[in-house]
Amino acid sequence: MSTLPRLVPPCSPEAPELRALREEVREFLDDQRAAGAFTPHVDCWISAWDEEFTAALAIRGWLGLTVPEEYGGHGKSFLHRYVVTEELLAAGAPVAAHWVGDRQIAPSLLKYGTEGQRHAFLPGIVRGERFFAIGMSEPDSGSDLASARTRAVRVEDGWRITGTKVWTSGAHRSHALMLLARTSPVDPEHRHAGLSQFIVDLDSPGLTISPIHWMNGEHHFNEVSLDEVFVPDDRVFGEIGNGWKQVTSELGFERSGPERTLSTFPVLAGLADRMGRGELPADPALGRLVARITGARQMSAAVAGQLQRHLPADVAAAVVKVLGTTTEGDIADLADLHCDDTTDPGFRDLVQTAVDHRPGFTIRGGTNEILRGVIARELGLR
Amino acid sequence: MTITTGQVDQDLVTLMNDVFGDYAEHHPTSTDTTLDREFWRRLDDLGLIRLTGPEESGGSGADWHTAAELLSAAVRHAVRVPLAEHDLLACAVLDDAGLPVDDAARTVTVLDEHGTATRVPWASTSDKVVTVFESGGKWLVADVPVGDLDVTPGANPLGEPRDDIAVDVNTLAATEAPDGLIERLRLKSALVRAIQVCAALDKTLELTVQHASVRTQFGRSLSRFQAVQHLIADMAAEAALARTSTEAALTAAVATDWAGANVPFLVATARSCTGHGASVVVRNAHQVHGAIGTTREHQLHHFTRPALTWRAEFGSVQHWDDQVAQAALSARDDLWGLITR
Ligand SMILES: Cc1cc2nc3c(=O)[nH]c(=O)nc-3n(C[C@H](O)[C@H](O)[C@H](O)COP(=O)(O)OP(=O)(O)OC[C@H]3O[C@@H](n4cnc5c(N)ncnc54)[C@H](O)[C@@H]3O)c2cc1C
Repeated sequence: MSTLPRLVPPCSPEAPELRALREEVREFLDDQRAAGAFTPHVDCWISAWDEEFTAALAIRGWLGLTVPEEYGGHGKSFLHRYVVTEELLAAGAPVAAHWVGDRQIAPSLLKYGTEGQRHAFLPGIVRGERFFAIGMSEPDSGSDLASARTRAVRVEDGWRITGTKVWTSGAHRSHALMLLARTSPVDPEHRHAGLSQFIVDLDSPGLTISPIHWMNGEHHFNEVSLDEVFVPDDRVFGEIGNGWKQVTSELGFERSGPERTLSTFPVLAGLADRMGRGELPADPALGRLVARITGARQMSAAVAGQLQRHLPADVAAAVVKVLGTTTEGDIADLADLHCDDTTDPGFRDLVQTAVDHRPGFTIRGGTNEILRGVIARELGLR
Repeated sequence: MTITTGQVDQDLVTLMNDVFGDYAEHHPTSTDTTLDREFWRRLDDLGLIRLTGPEESGGSGADWHTAAELLSAAVRHAVRVPLAEHDLLACAVLDDAGLPVDDAARTVTVLDEHGTATRVPWASTSDKVVTVFESGGKWLVADVPVGDLDVTPGANPLGEPRDDIAVDVNTLAATEAPDGLIERLRLKSALVRAIQVCAALDKTLELTVQHASVRTQFGRSLSRFQAVQHLIADMAAEAALARTSTEAALTAAVATDWAGANVPFLVATARSCTGHGASVVVRNAHQVHGAIGTTREHQLHHFTRPALTWRAEFGSVQHWDDQVAQAALSARDDLWGLITR
């Protein structure tokens, strides 16, 4: 009985079937860890690239869970995928290789792709063999994505694309790029019109990938420049001119996922463990952050339920992302406040990585300032 | 009156809002709160006093989700009545202990080893105080007429009675408490306040959105300024987190009749999230309202002060943070197992 809309849907308890899947994933992860297949990473979904691990997940049937069987997938619900990804992230497992394909490209292909494109790409995503990158941002076009200047010009049998994309995570190891480009000049009255999406092979002639190093020297994102790169008609993604609607329609999936709350979970778990063993002094600030992560994941799960019911969730996703990304960053900072020269090197490295990655959390996928605008609009303030 | 459990009946929610709205219109909220017996009878006639009590003993047989709606409706209209203390806490303890429930207005408290308790909600305005105390290594329950207690009236900053009481427990006719009664009472008390804080935060947000939309400065409404939008968006996010965590705790509690292994953790989580959420919501709401919101005449304080007052009852925010932290520390290397239990 309020005049305001409810921003986040109510959450419901986990179905027994999902619980069983959760246990199965957990067991698998325990075995993998015990076998030394991985050590927990911070921000594993962007920086921990391990194609062998990806292949192992594919064999278990945990990639392309929501992809229908006719495309090689498993025809499961979005909630199944949610449980699997959540377990992987909490464990800090190396999932970067397939992340973009599994999270974003597969659902987009199912929604907008042609039959030919689905058959061409989905089986490879499900088998953990085909990797994707996302080419949206440009040097002069970040938050204001509609200002993108990369241009696609109509030629015989296809398009020629020229422009520069930046911050393209994983492009140097991926096969294809989901690219956003202008197919008609900017119309100041309709800024979102005239944008289109293309699936671009990353080994196309005229395409150059140059590393952009993170401040600590890591390499996960890149600059991708395109000089008259040819893209055939059958790689036009969706409808020409419909690009804006296509990229924004999936934001509920992109912004509400467990990757928006759990990027630093191994640090939080490490803190609790160390404080529990008396290696670090117990700090109620830990309680505050554990509570917030618990609450944020309850929200994230509630949004997953909403998406499964095919209900709009972009505002709820914005709420999850603002709170989740702030909290995962605060975890890095709390751990850092507890570290000094006597901290054991393994944990110190984990914390250092978290601190180094922290600035990206509240930027990637739409900055928190932009997301606050989304929330404000829903409240009728804009 | 019978209230079906499960999904909360919308007609009933409307009724609740009407009752409190009507009362609030004719009775301005004051900081000197006593129990309005006439209003209490009216609520009783509507079946709202013993909302969750079993029908056999004159209750309405509703569940906690419905009770949460009732508490929230009272908060939204700034009507202060001890509905939770009476029904969800005191009478529930009597039910729990197999003791009879009559028409008396009640509250509940746990006495210390000297037979005293401080800041007992609504004791001075109740007919009876359900006391829980330890004697000879056992937990006992006694339903004590308030006249048999030594009561020193007090109040919280909202004017709600918070009274000190003392009694010689040897004079009390007591019944043995069933296992877990103390723990259930502790969890229920904590969650009641979380529910109330959530409602106060939502109402604060609503008032702030309204104010920002009508107040103009520099020739446009405040809501057009991005800085103001961001203050409000952060309030909305915090209020949503508080609500989600509180609902999650409530759902788990109801599903397991308060016995679920994860209920204490989820209640502590809810109290932590609502407590810290209140900091942001209250701060930003006052900022957006400017000077007018700081005054007694303005209604904002009917919601911001309660949010801060109630988050400090039945355990400070720090206490609940600490409870969450302790659970995390005991979980050792299985923090994730604790969170997803
Ligand atoms: C780790 C990481 C990985 C990424 N991976 C990819 C990828 O794979 N593919 C890809 O395409 N992009 C990727 N990005 C880019 C990301 O999407 C952009 O960084 C983001 O959209 C913000 O754009 P920007 O960096 O140009 O900042 P700007 O848009 O220049 O913003 C700078 C600051 O101004 C604020 N600001 C801007 N506009 C407004 C406004 N209207 N109101 C209020 N504040 C405003 C922003 O919030 C921010 O604080 C990645 C970024 C990071 C950090």
